This record gives sequence, C-alpha cells and structure tokens, in this order.
Amino acid sequence: MIDVSHLSKTFRVAQKEPGLAGAIKGPFTRQYRDVHAVRDISFSIKEGELVGFLGPNGAGKTTTLKMLSGLLHPTSGDATVLGHVPWKRERDFQKQFTMVMGQRTQLWWDLPAWDSFLLNKEIYEIPKAQFEETVEELSRLLEIQDLLDVPVKKLSLGQRMKAELACSLLHRPRVLLLDEPTIGLDVVMQQIVRQFIIEYNRRYRATILLTSHNMEDIAELCPRVILINHGQILFDGSLDSFRSHYQTKTLTEAMREAFVTPTKVGDQSCTGSRLSPG
Amino acid sequence: MRKYFFVFSIYWQEGLSKRASFLMERFRALVVLISFYYFWSALLKHRASFVGYDRSQMITYVLGMNILRSLVFATRTEEIASEINHGRLSGYLLKPVNFMLYTLFRDLSEKSINLVSSIIEVMGLIYIFDVHISWPHAPQTWFFFAIACLGATWLYFILSFMTACWGFWTSESWGPRFLLELFLEFTAGAFFPLDVLPKLAQQIIATFPSPYLVFFPLQIFLGKIDSHQIMNGFLIQLFWILAISGMARAVWSKGMENYSSAGS
Repeated sequence: MIDVSHLSKTFRVAQKEPGLAGAIKGPFTRQYRDVHAVRDISFSIKEGELVGFLGPNGAGKTTTLKMLSGLLHPTSGDATVLGHVPWKRERDFQKQFTMVMGQRTQLWWDLPAWDSFLLNKEIYEIPKAQFEETVEELSRLLEIQDLLDVPVKKLSLGQRMKAELACSLLHRPRVLLLDEPTIGLDVVMQQIVRQFIIEYNRRYRATILLTSHNMEDIAELCPRVILINHGQILFDGSLDSFRSHYQTKTLTEAMREAFVTPTKVGDQSCTGSRLSPG
Repeated sequence: MRKYFFVFSIYWQEGLSKRASFLMERFRALVVLISFYYFWSALLKHRASFVGYDRSQMITYVLGMNILRSLVFATRTEEIASEINHGRLSGYLLKPVNFMLYTLFRDLSEKSINLVSSIIEVMGLIYIFDVHISWPHAPQTWFFFAIACLGATWLYFILSFMTACWGFWTSESWGPRFLLELFLEFTAGAFFPLDVLPKLAQQIIATFPSPYLVFFPLQIFLGKIDSHQIMNGFLIQLFWILAISGMARAVWSKGMENYSSAGS
C-alpha cells in the first residue's frame, strides 16, 4: 500500500548573519546551507495498518508525509502509495487518499461546513447517494449533525477539527496521512477523534500513517510505530517491542530515551539507516 | 467542469457573505467613476473635442473604462502568492483539481460580482446625469467588442497569474505586483485614452500587451478603428495570449519544483 525506498529530501536554505550588518550584507552576499530533512529512509506499510510516525520537532515527519502526499519532490529515492508515484499527482491517486494537517483547515471560514462538503463532493466527483450516506455516517460518528449549517468561524477548535476530518473523508479515502490530528484539542475531544480514527480504520480497512506528539494517541491507536530523528529512522516495529526494549514505565520515557541515546536501539541491530528493535 | 462551476458559485456565496467589504468596495468604485465623469465633463465643457474625442465619446470611454476595469482587472490572483508563501497552496495540490482552472473560476466569480455592480452603477449615472452615450449601431461592432473583452480578460488573468508565481521564489512579491498593476493600468488606457499621450509614448506602449486590455476594446466600441485595424489588433492580442500563457505555464512548472509547502 505504501512503499518507501531510500527516500531523501534536502532543502537549500538562505543564511543571514545576525544583526543589522548581516541584513545589509544579505542581499549582496547571500549564502546557502543544505538542510537534510530526510535521509535515505525506507519502510513499507500494508493495507489496513495503523502506524504512528514519531519524532521530535524537525525530525522529518511532516516532510516525509508531504512527499508521500505528492506535495514535495524528493531529492532522491522512490516511493509508491496505492501503486502511484505521489509527486506525479495523478487524479486517480488523489481521489483515494487524504492528508489532514492539524493546524490547517480546508473549510471555508465565512460559510457553513456544509458548503465546504458540497465543494468536496464536486471536486472528488462523489455520487449523490454516496455523499449523503457518508455525510450522515461521518456526522453521526463525530457528533456534528447540528453544526453543519453554522458558519465555520463560529465553531470551537474541537468542532472545527471534527468538521475538518469529516470533510477530508467524504470521498472515503483508502490512505490517510494525519499530521497531528489531535493538536490543540481538549481531552474529551481527543478521545472522540481517536475513537473515530479507529472506527474509520476498522470500517474501511483504511491504511493510516499518523504523526503526533501526544503519546496517548500513539498508545491507543498504533500497534506499530516508526521513530525518526534528524531525518533517519531509528526504529520500526511494534509498539510492544518498543516498550519492552526500553523497559521504561511510560511511552514518553521510552521516547525520550530513544531520542537522547538513539544508538542504544541501533546497537541491537542495524540495517543501513533503518534500525530495528532487536 | 462541474467542479469549477461550483467553485464559481461558492466564491459568489463568500463574496455576498462579506457585505460590509462589498459595499465599501463599491462605494470606492463609485467615487472613482463620478470623479472621472466630472473631470472629463469639465475639460470638455467649452470645447467641441479633445484629442479626437467629442464630449459624448469621451464620456462613453470613461464609463466603458469603468465597466472594463471591473471585468478585466478584478482578480483574486494576488492571493496566490500568499497561498504559496504560507503553504495554503498545499490544500489545492492534494485534491484532484487543476489549480489554474480553479483560480480562473475564482477570478470569474470576482469579475462577475464586480461587473454586475459596475453596470448598475454606470446605468444609474447615465440615468441621473442624463448622459449621452455613443452606442455602436452595427451588430458586428458589438460582436468584435465582446471578443476583444474576452481576450482582454484572459490576457490579464494569465499576466496576473504569472506575476503571482513570483511567490515561489520570494515572500516579497507584493512590491513587484503593485508596480506591475500600476504600470498595466496606466498603459492599458484604464485612467484615460492613450491618445492623450505624446506620439512617442503611444508607439512605445503599443509594443506592450497592456493596450489590448482596455484601450483596444473601447476603440472598437467607439468605432474609432476600421475592420483592418480590428483584425490586426486581434492578431496581436492572440499573440500576447499565447506567449504569456506559455510563459505562465513554464513559470508555474518551475515554481512547483521549488515549492517547499512551508508553514503547513
């Protein structure tokens, strides 16, 4: 379903010396630096798997998701999602996947969520009967039936996130890339969103790759985790083996351990840049 | 194409939901219209004509210019640069839509709202001030005028789309855009007929695409150019459309390679 092979992404970033002198010199002697956001990563995800993609800020998670969604061209390496090369952005591929970015919304701010739903119905060419059935089902699962005709700007953050999720799933995608889907939500709302993700995964056998800094998301949702830091995969395996490897009380402690002393995992078994829990 | 008609419709809905902004914008347009009307009326009060335009022709030019500004220059392409800079472009790229068509229909929605409003304003002004308009008599003049307006609309759209792509390389695209818009409006004849300018300036401006945005269609409307000049004008307008379309596509493709989806 998702196959990634030796994928790398390097950004060229302009440098500026600090202070006013740097600002004056900048336009004449601009220097660039290469930032290796993702370095030679490889992994595979089967149909129906729910995988947590973990790492500290700037580890390369979102860059990887952006490549898998076709937003970014990789510097090197290959990837296929649903048999398509994502960055070719073929219509057939785009109709079968979705990417939800927790801090971004596709909903129209001044209009009710219904209008955004109708726009997606046309964009994804969803048949009327399927559209009505899906809206009914998603709005029931997410408890947003009464919110669809309220202008989006009047909704709370949690209500907006639920409407956003529903809007992203109207075309019943087979692959979901979720970038911090519970960010900023209160604990009750987080629980509702997590339950919904589990239900969607079960009902449609959807393949889900999600990033989150919330360890409860990972503990509840993801039987498998992939750890990434400095653009390299540190660990790829089951959540249980990850926990037992570190023998820590909590997942957060295990994560801290992994990121502070990454070689500890690597010392067990190393295959290229991809390390297994051993 | 259904999806793009829906884009057109949803931007209409959004436009109408922002009533205060809409009314302010129309008030601004009305002030500009009345100012131009009084300026040219005063200038032609004691003269039979000015640079080849009699009073009726000049007022027709001013009112036609007002309507064409709404059709040709109304755009939301300035949002593209910001969408690129802030990563909001990603939202479109993830979906099965052609972004250029999407923005075209977004623009058409904006243009149609402005066009309807400005026609009502101009009609109101004609009625209130009892203005005499130089209407064309021949049906083919109306036909050629309509074609020239369509060409002008498409030409400005691709020009402004291409300018917006500047956002792929810099977050400071507002400055170049402002200068280009000002230059285009000045050289398009969107402030006054280009005949007002010295001959040399007219000859230089004739080598740009801008006269084909406002001045050329209004010359047809006023019957100031013959059929040979009209055909010649269409050919040049078509040349600019094809050349700038090709450039816009190339700039877009190059920009997409550069796109980092920053901020999302």
